[in-house]
Amino acid sequence: MRKPKNDLLQGTLALLVLKTLVRGPLHGYGITLHIQMVSKDFLRVEEGSLYPALHRMEQDGWVSAEWGLSENNRRARYYQLTAKGRKQLAEEEKNWERLTEAVAHVLEFA
Amino acid sequence: MLRRNRLDQDLDEELRAHLEMRAADNAAAGMPPEESRYEAQKRFGNTALLKEDTRNVDIIGWLDEAVRDFRHALRVLQRSPGFTAVAVLTLALGIGANTAIFSVVNSVLIRPLPYGDPAGLVMVWETDSLHPNPHNTVSPPNFLDWQSRNTVFSGMIYIFDERDNLTGNGDPQEVVVQDVSVNFFPLLGVNLLLGPGFTPENGQAGHDNVVILAYGIWKERFAGDPAIVGKSIVLNGHPQTVVGVAPQNFQWFIKDGSLTGAKPQMWSPFVFPQGWSDHNGMGRFMTVAARLKPGATYSQAQAQMTAIGSQLEREYPDADGHWGVNVVPLGDYLSGELRPALLVLFGAVACVLLIACANVSSLLLARAASREREMAIRTAIGASRWRIARQLLIESLLLAVIGGGIGVSLAVWGTNALLGASPKNLLDLTAISVNLRVLTFAVAATLFAGLLFGFLPSYISAHSRISETLKEGGRGSSSAKSRAFARNAFVVAQLALALILLTGSGLLIRSFVRLIGVNPGFEADHVLTFKVSLPRHKYGKDPTCLAFFQQLLARINAVPGVRSATMESFPPLSSLGAATAVHVLSQPSLAVSDLPVASVRVVGPDYFRTMNIPLLAGRFFNAQELAEEKHVTMINQAFADKYLHGENPLGQKAAIYMKSLSEKEIQPSEIIGVVGDVHQIGLDTAPEPAVYWPHPELVMSAMTVLVRTEGDPLALVSTARDELQKLDPELPMAAVVTMDQLLADSFSRARFTMLLLGIFAAVALLLASVGIYGLIAYSVTQRTQELGIRIALGAQRSDVFRLVLSQGTRLTLLGVSIGVFAALALSRLLATLLFSVSPSDPLTFAGVAGLLAIVALLACFIPARRATRVDPIVALRYE
Repeated sequence: MRKPKNDLLQGTLALLVLKTLVRGPLHGYGITLHIQMVSKDFLRVEEGSLYPALHRMEQDGWVSAEWGLSENNRRARYYQLTAKGRKQLAEEEKNWERLTEAVAHVLEFA
Repeated sequence: MLRRNRLDQDLDEELRAHLEMRAADNAAAGMPPEESRYEAQKRFGNTALLKEDTRNVDIIGWLDEAVRDFRHALRVLQRSPGFTAVAVLTLALGIGANTAIFSVVNSVLIRPLPYGDPAGLVMVWETDSLHPNPHNTVSPPNFLDWQSRNTVFSGMIYIFDERDNLTGNGDPQEVVVQDVSVNFFPLLGVNLLLGPGFTPENGQAGHDNVVILAYGIWKERFAGDPAIVGKSIVLNGHPQTVVGVAPQNFQWFIKDGSLTGAKPQMWSPFVFPQGWSDHNGMGRFMTVAARLKPGATYSQAQAQMTAIGSQLEREYPDADGHWGVNVVPLGDYLSGELRPALLVLFGAVACVLLIACANVSSLLLARAASREREMAIRTAIGASRWRIARQLLIESLLLAVIGGGIGVSLAVWGTNALLGASPKNLLDLTAISVNLRVLTFAVAATLFAGLLFGFLPSYISAHSRISETLKEGGRGSSSAKSRAFARNAFVVAQLALALILLTGSGLLIRSFVRLIGVNPGFEADHVLTFKVSLPRHKYGKDPTCLAFFQQLLARINAVPGVRSATMESFPPLSSLGAATAVHVLSQPSLAVSDLPVASVRVVGPDYFRTMNIPLLAGRFFNAQELAEEKHVTMINQAFADKYLHGENPLGQKAAIYMKSLSEKEIQPSEIIGVVGDVHQIGLDTAPEPAVYWPHPELVMSAMTVLVRTEGDPLALVSTARDELQKLDPELPMAAVVTMDQLLADSFSRARFTMLLLGIFAAVALLLASVGIYGLIAYSVTQRTQELGIRIALGAQRSDVFRLVLSQGTRLTLLGVSIGVFAALALSRLLATLLFSVSPSDPLTFAGVAGLLAIVALLACFIPARRATRVDPIVALRYE
């Protein structure tokens, strides 16, 4: 699979998406907007990575998808966190904390 | 494929929504519309690649799930081996029987004939409007006129067969030779295996001493000699040059046109002698086929030939009065006889498969009820309806595939058994095999069965309401009710289908019993028959021929163990014979074609006594009449009844149009006796009017010798052959068979159809009774608690018994009544296979309905008995 330059760290995208969905069901475009907005334009989600990731998460049972209507009455596919997805999110958050902690230790030590 | 398309469409729509939303936001932020779209698209990058990445994820995921479901299904089936075994066996039986019958249908009705462009080939017959026979042979002058006047055929061929004596290279052998027009092989579009074949020159008198060998005789008699072409063989004492060998799969055997009743072993060109174009001098004995011109249709051909037929009728009223022409596509003609029987059998096995499906479906429903909690829990933790339905469907398909696999092995074995049991000449032995088309059919039948029996259980399970199920423990819920209804419906359907099959086989059995009860008109046991044909070059003169047969019979009569020996021109039940016009002189004279028709049988000394045919009036032929021509004849009862209308036949004179078609040249024969009727064509065909001549009246060179013996007729074969070869070592003894065997062969087709349909009906009966047994047994298990309470509250055992049995009785009565109505509608399809039994024969219907009802109630009896033994204490503790 090709890797865009400013691609997010492997596994990070899933974490961000899962976290975004905690607030409620959202379509793909909404997810990109939310992440971009909350990260103050620092993180940009590539569509080329987002959709394969969303479909994979759907198959793993972390999210479920349903067709619904967007704010301006357009048919869009809404993704929603499942019970399994919540468990996965907790796991990923824990991993992320460990990772950042570890990176911080390395940085301090040098 | 369908699924992939749907995934694609979903993905397209999802991505389009994304693009449009982004573009709308861009525009809202003040970007010009075009730029806002462009920007949105740019951010997307390569849409095709993105779509492909996403789609791959989808498909891999879907396959993963399918594999998981498949594994799960395997585990589930392994967990209940009893259920799996019953379901698989039921399906194997249904699919196997269907595949076996389809392989026969395929080779008889579907497979292309071994000719080039067989669709363009037609048979052209004459028909006599006074004596309906759609497939009458053709006279040479009519053939010539048809050929010159028609514009619809690109070519026509004629064929007539004879038995010739092949000598040299080993023992003398009688061979069946078809005399054909030189264009025979090219018109049929057949390329020879070896040799150049006939040239147009072979169609001229004096150049026709060439033959083409059939594959079989080339292999057997000539050891497959690759250099056979150009060599010479001796037929009836004349050398013939071999100019070709036909391919292995080639054959041409048209039963209605065959004079020998046997498949050809070689072909020889035949040139019409002078005089064969004379309409008033020729009989009808040739088979004619033709090829339609490209673009010409079969109905155009029929229309034109009918017109030509009427022209000939006007031009030659004596020979062709009330004769017409019948054009039949070759394929229809060849499959015509077997088609009704095969279609009935095919319908019957399809019924068996439906019953098998209903049975397995019923089993699945029972199981689904006990797995309802498993399903409810799976739904509760997030499985979709589709997921659950799919899992159950995959289980069904797995069952079907295992059953189908075993079924195909059964079919391979069954097809061979079928061929073993089938009468010879009924099915073409080499032509049937389980090939690609048959396998495709088996796969289709398997998938169809799997989906059919799997659909309803999956559907009901997928639509059950979780909350209800979890609350009620699977009983009394709406899905349980729809399951109970479906199971009842399946049992009723099975019983109805079984009744249809039982009716069919019941009718065939009744018909068969009638058939074997027919008195053939002669005594068949302890009679040996064989055929002797004298070659014309050696025995061309009548006295030589007469003397030979007299000596032969005298020799055989002298053999110990022989009661009497006689001979006849065509043996009974062989469906061969000669027939011609007869003018009883006391009646007004008519044109030849308007005269009554009778079959002519030439007999030897003691014929009627040897065959035990009763003398009804007058006397038998005396020794003088059997030694020289005295112009006497005997008639049968049918002749007297049909043509003499109560007049005394004895002493009447009759002109028999055998040796000439002109009455002036005919010396009338005096009727000296009347004998009982004999079924000449078959037991299912009414005896035809016949006249008998002693051998000197019509000296035939080919006769069937009939020997009545003390013991086993076949024990005398070698002695009889010795006696024959003492007279002439070059003469073969042909068509050796006992009369009992001929009789058995004559109803072998009826027996075969009856046997097969009987087997299918038995299977149907078994499956249907297992079905109703399973249902009642299951419902007793389900109602254990209720029954226990009833007993505890004082219900008598007999009340419980009646309660359970009444459920089975209701279903049985419903199934049987529906079945009777369906069978009444369908049994008409059997009409052509029945002999003197009406398709709505009340006795058969009452009998099979009673049988089915009794068997079904017996099947209910066992679980009903069990219900009476329910222990209330145990029942109340149940669960």
